[in-house]
Amino acid sequence: MKRRIFLMGLAGAAGCTHGRPRLNVFNWSNYVAPETIPDFENEFGVRVRYGVYESNEEMLARVLSGNSGWDVVFPTHSYVEPMRRLGLLAALDHGRLPNLDQLSAAFRSPEWDPGLRWSVPYMWGATGIAYHRSVRPAPSSWADLWRPDLAGRMTMLDDPFEVLGACLKKLGFSLNATGERELRLAAREAVAQKPLLRAYLNAEVRDQLVAGDVLAAQLWATTAQQAMDASPAIRFAYPREGFGLYADTAVILRESRRKPLAHAFLNYLLRPRVAAAVVQATRTATANGGALALLDASVRNNTTLYPPAEVLARGEWFRPMPAAAQRLRDRLWTEIKSA
Amino acid sequence: MNRLRLGFLAPAALIIAALILAPMALVACYSFLSRGAYGGVEWIGTLENYARLFDPLYLKILARSAVLAAAAASLCLLLGFPLAWFIARAGPRKHLCLSLVILPFWTSFLVRLYAWMFLLRDTGLINTLLLAAGWIREPLPLLYNDGAVLLGLVYGYLPFTVLPLYATLERLDPSLLEAAADLGAPPLAAFRRVVLPLAAPGMRAGALLVFIPCLGTYLTSDLLGGSKTFLAGNLIQNQFTTARDWPFGSAASLVLMGLTLLVVFVWLRRQGENLL
Amino acid sequence: MRRLLAFYAAAAYAFLHLPVITLAVFSFNRSRFTVWEGFSLAWYRAAFRDLQLAEAAWNSLLIAAASTVLATVAGTLCAYALWKRRSRLIVASLMLSLVTPEIVTGIALLVFFQGLFRYLNLQLGMHTVVLAHVSFSLAFVVVVVLARLRALDPALEEAAMDLGASEWRAFRDVTLPVLWPGIAAAALLAFTVSFDDYVITSLVAGVDSETLPMVIYAMARRGANPVVNAVSALIVIALGGLVILSERLRRR
Repeated sequence: MKRRIFLMGLAGAAGCTHGRPRLNVFNWSNYVAPETIPDFENEFGVRVRYGVYESNEEMLARVLSGNSGWDVVFPTHSYVEPMRRLGLLAALDHGRLPNLDQLSAAFRSPEWDPGLRWSVPYMWGATGIAYHRSVRPAPSSWADLWRPDLAGRMTMLDDPFEVLGACLKKLGFSLNATGERELRLAAREAVAQKPLLRAYLNAEVRDQLVAGDVLAAQLWATTAQQAMDASPAIRFAYPREGFGLYADTAVILRESRRKPLAHAFLNYLLRPRVAAAVVQATRTATANGGALALLDASVRNNTTLYPPAEVLARGEWFRPMPAAAQRLRDRLWTEIKSA
Repeated sequence: MNRLRLGFLAPAALIIAALILAPMALVACYSFLSRGAYGGVEWIGTLENYARLFDPLYLKILARSAVLAAAAASLCLLLGFPLAWFIARAGPRKHLCLSLVILPFWTSFLVRLYAWMFLLRDTGLINTLLLAAGWIREPLPLLYNDGAVLLGLVYGYLPFTVLPLYATLERLDPSLLEAAADLGAPPLAAFRRVVLPLAAPGMRAGALLVFIPCLGTYLTSDLLGGSKTFLAGNLIQNQFTTARDWPFGSAASLVLMGLTLLVVFVWLRRQGENLL
Repeated sequence: MRRLLAFYAAAAYAFLHLPVITLAVFSFNRSRFTVWEGFSLAWYRAAFRDLQLAEAAWNSLLIAAASTVLATVAGTLCAYALWKRRSRLIVASLMLSLVTPEIVTGIALLVFFQGLFRYLNLQLGMHTVVLAHVSFSLAFVVVVVLARLRALDPALEEAAMDLGASEWRAFRDVTLPVLWPGIAAAALLAFTVSFDDYVITSLVAGVDSETLPMVIYAMARRGANPVVNAVSALIVIALGGLVILSERLRRR
């Protein structure tokens, strides 16, 4: 018993910080530039504890308790509404966020959070097909991922929303379909695809694309861009039938005891200079129009990260599902995986 | 129970009550509740979670997991026994040998799995060497199948058989084997009738220490299997993360655990002894 | 026969160490991808400069040490008591602990801590990770030590007590010395299981208690990262050195 107390004391002492106030930020990996956090720490005289995660579920599992210790997290847009309903978010005080008008027009009042009462869009992206240039004819639609000549060399994302989304789009339905008939047809497509499928992979497939193990992959634009940076043989296509869009947003947790500082951090991230630096370091698509204006034309014209308007029009934002549809999708995902 | 025994049991009992039983009671509680609209639980009692489990879809997943876990446990025992024997007989070097078994496992499990992926891939080390040596003409599909998953499981859980086996074999008196030989027993018979019965507790411990976690594994089948099949562990993990259906996940966990306990008790009862 | 066994052992060790050796070799690769592009120490330099890694490694060691000590002590005593007289409840609970999938243990502990901490106004942190590790290590320790005890002759202790020793003395002077290899094996297992754990730790860790598996998992998830290879190689060398050193010291 004594040992336990001693150890706890030790751990507590180790974690103890004197002096400067602290901010705990939990973000996706690779989403800030090396100088972003240190510059914030110096300017505001604070210390930032910066943690990273790889999936929304990981973040949500920690944050769901309501006493996780984090102040700012970055959920994907379709999680903002559920998190709000679960009482996890703090309402944003726009008075403390003067830089909000730096956001691109499309993100000023998005469909998942009109008026930006709870979240601040940070980075956005889309899902498409990354492929090796040796694939002929070049893939241009989701249906191309069902081609027998790609058997064993093709991967899909390990995410029920993405996989079912691609199948739904291939069949001409909406990405966010909730009807049983549409979803079952989509599931059937996915099961039909399985014999051809090499694996369900997320960002890890980037290395296999570059190495040539994988010829075509359902992949996010930002990850595809990273692959393209590593190898000139990789191309990216936005499927003809349409594709999914996502945006990672910054929110302040209700449990946070440092809300003014958290607001200051969000406002800092919205500065065009800061956002531009992040974009240059991470090669992601920013929601910050002010930052875009500062960047090189080659960045703005990058069709992978910033597709032209007519391509973007085919995109559809993911939406959170009502309970019954969620249940059905879960079940279908289990069926697909067990097939 | 006398005071000494009570005192000996106290620390463990405290840990068990607070950190094993209480949390599990909570999970059992959750399994009878309903899923909240956006995740979490709602305090509405229901038996629906258990009813859902009787679907052939879930039963198939369970069967597949059981077969894989049994295969992994058998292989681990088979491969681990000679190694444990060697270490037990290694004389003054035995602690070194034992530590060398454990050493790789102090690096991250995930990283070692990635190393296996690197080795097994189409453009990985093994295929490259085989192609260079001219033994094969096209790369072998070593990765993203059940064989790779089994390999990963055996690799990951081998020490779990080596350690208990070593703990029992180390105690084995070599003069017993000499006596058997003196009495005219051929080595195989001596092994079967002297060594095996004495090593049995270690073997049972080892087999169970492998079988049970393998039943609930999900990382290995995710990475080495290409995330293409759902095992019981994947199903449960999925419920607690993507699906956010904690009540169903809790029910599935309890059923899995219940069935495992049943299998374990039946198996041990037939052997005429208990593990613990 | 002995030659065959030695050969087999060598092959088994090769199998166990192959992935780590591969990692180590490729930690010297200049390129971050799996094509060999030349020798380079860049990743090692990056690893040493990475404060997050260093802190995570230290956390992991601390947690593993603490939980190993607690679990081994409690587990050994418990195994001994069970050897003398079985307790259905304890046995069933330990069975339960063994049988529970990691994700379920993690969620159960998380929910339990959350509920508890709401009243105590505490947060997740190092202490919760240590407690979680003790909870799942205990069963392993008991199983290993009990297996070893079963191979012992209870008559030895009885003889000692007939000669006038108390139960405690019989335990300390007769059983314990013979039990040490079993205890050491159990402690080794507990340390390994704790150091290597990702699933449960990631669920109950707090803001300040990142462990090495968590950091490495995150890095590895993003694709091949030779810094991870470098760290793994370093760990193996450091711990291997420690093992060899302790071996030398013991022999003296």
